[in-house]
Amino acid sequence: MSLGSVSFYPIVNGVYLSFTNRSLITQDNDFVGIANYLQLSADPSFWNAWWHTIWFTTASTGLETLIGLVMALILCEAFSGRGIVRAAMLVPWAMPTVVTSKMFGWLFDGQHGIINFILLHAGLIDQNVNWYGAPETALTTIILADVWKTTPFMALLLLTGLQTVPKSLIEAARVDGARAWTIFWNIRLPLLLPTLLIAGLFRALDAFRVFDLVYVLTGGGPADSTETLSTLSYKILFSTLQFGYGSAVSTAMFMTEGVIALVFCLFLVRQLRKTT
Amino acid sequence: MPDFKNASAGSNATGFSAMLDRRQLLLGAAGAAIGAATLGVASGLGIRTARAADRTEISFASASFFGKEGIGDLVKAYNESQDRIMVKFIELPPPSSSTEVYQGLIQQLARRNGTPDVFSQDVIWIAGFAAAGWALPLDEYFPKEKRSDYFPGTVAACTYDEKLTALPWFVDSGMFYYRKDLVEKHGGKVPDTWDDMATMAAAAQKAGDAKFGYLWQGKQAEVLICDAVEVITSNGGSILAHDGKSSIIGEKAAVEAIQFLYDTINKRKISPQNVLSWDEEPSRQPFTSGEAMFMRNWSYVYPIAQDPKASHVVDKVAVAPLPHFAGGKSAACLGGYQLGVNANSKKREAAIEFLTWMSSSETQTRLALNFGLAPSRPAIFQDAKLKAEQPFMASLQNVFTGATPRPITPQYAKVTLALQSGISKALVSGNVQAELKATAEQINKIVA
Repeated sequence: MSLGSVSFYPIVNGVYLSFTNRSLITQDNDFVGIANYLQLSADPSFWNAWWHTIWFTTASTGLETLIGLVMALILCEAFSGRGIVRAAMLVPWAMPTVVTSKMFGWLFDGQHGIINFILLHAGLIDQNVNWYGAPETALTTIILADVWKTTPFMALLLLTGLQTVPKSLIEAARVDGARAWTIFWNIRLPLLLPTLLIAGLFRALDAFRVFDLVYVLTGGGPADSTETLSTLSYKILFSTLQFGYGSAVSTAMFMTEGVIALVFCLFLVRQLRKTT
Repeated sequence: MPDFKNASAGSNATGFSAMLDRRQLLLGAAGAAIGAATLGVASGLGIRTARAADRTEISFASASFFGKEGIGDLVKAYNESQDRIMVKFIELPPPSSSTEVYQGLIQQLARRNGTPDVFSQDVIWIAGFAAAGWALPLDEYFPKEKRSDYFPGTVAACTYDEKLTALPWFVDSGMFYYRKDLVEKHGGKVPDTWDDMATMAAAAQKAGDAKFGYLWQGKQAEVLICDAVEVITSNGGSILAHDGKSSIIGEKAAVEAIQFLYDTINKRKISPQNVLSWDEEPSRQPFTSGEAMFMRNWSYVYPIAQDPKASHVVDKVAVAPLPHFAGGKSAACLGGYQLGVNANSKKREAAIEFLTWMSSSETQTRLALNFGLAPSRPAIFQDAKLKAEQPFMASLQNVFTGATPRPITPQYAKVTLALQSGISKALVSGNVQAELKATAEQINKIVA
């Protein structure tokens, strides 16, 4: 009952709102059927935000998985000071995202940012790049910030996965003369795959809701080039107070997340069937 | 990642009203305690004071402004100044959390139960509140002849559908900051037109006197609309047509104006490309550290520029009305908060009386001296005490005279999002004509 009231009711009410033209400011509150969804499908700003969100999710999840895997493999090995390194690695993840956003704001600042300074002195660019002020670089910079922040989380999840791979298998392979790469490719990776898929699923669903990085760094600009579904629905819901249309955007976002989860689950089920 | 989102969205939507009620309760209790205390003191002194029960109780909701004192102190002063009305102050978040203040007000007004009786509102909300029927038309209480006491732009912003639905309180506007020493060196006269400004800025940049000629705010945010309203109006253009039912931002005057902003970065090169990601503070920093010659910003910059701890340009900065295009007139985007009465208030007479007091010359002078908020009555700028204590504010009368409201429409929240997106696209791509045409079409759909 209590579970229903906190999770089920808001979802149902959100979906219901998306079929109305409810707006606090115009005082409308009528059932309008699928009118909001028709408007949505023809709304370029919605599709613009949709594509940005998909791209952000794919790129950040992909990079985080790859780098996280490398980090996990390194941390899996025994070396002195491993405990400290493992703990230190989690610092970026433990930081509030708003702080991360501000920090990246300064790192990539167009005038005094250290990234520009380093690149300029290394001769890689010949004048300061305005990372957040140019549509070509703004979203990429936000993806970088997200990768920096969340890779440790991926590394940690994958590390636990790696530790479940039986040591005896690896030793047996070593005795048979297999090289490190072969061991990774034929033993560790296949056994890690379910963990990889679950970690990827968590990360993708989380990345899909990206809000704070965008909100703090660019507010969706310049020229809508960093607008994501979360920031768009926030603007529609809370700045213009169109609860009906805003709920339609949120519902569309919810459905997209459902599809992403479904794809991951299909792979996961297939993988589990194969191994058992 | 979810931490911030939950925190902000949650407190906005659900936690807010609960929080307010709690605050109201606390404030109510505090008010009662203070009332009782003053009563005790007053009767002890033998002064006749009406009992609290005899007073008409009304509520006043406002964003919390702070200076040497807060809005709560102001309300208290009113309660002590007379014995017929008792005002209860409902404190909303500070004006920097403008979206939250907006939501807080709407949640209360939409209940239509008469609370708050009086409220303060950002100029851009006035039309929306009026169209929703939440704001009481004030024409019968403040006839035309009384309105000439205020800046005309402020009265225009308080008027919706030819009815006065808000009473001017305090104002701010965009203004033109310049470096006295650099202007002296490069011609001696503060530029009147955008063209002169650009030429002068380029000369100073070339001579190595300033890293940046002119700083403005191009971030896809509300401030971009303010910058845009200023250049467009200074070329005789406008965002909405006079009747407010269509947009004329795709026409020549507006296109030329936005083209000028684009050119400051790409052709005349007096503004860095960074202005496209800057709002107020990022553009203020290079100016107060002495790197720029001219800047468009609000009045808050001046005290910072005069503070030796924060500024390298102490005593070198002055303010003028913004430049205009040849044949146009200088325009400044109007900001500030104005007062309104809840249309559902059951205590209208008391509400009007309090409103009148809040907007009176005395209270506005007090706001200027103690809060640093500029009066909406031009006459106060001649006040000797103001001139002595706030010489900078007293010098702004001519800046505020040209203050222009942003588009007056109940759909402003939607219009501004369309404008932010469209103008940002125009400034980034340089495809000014086409982007503004597209923006105009989008706005037509919203306001028609």
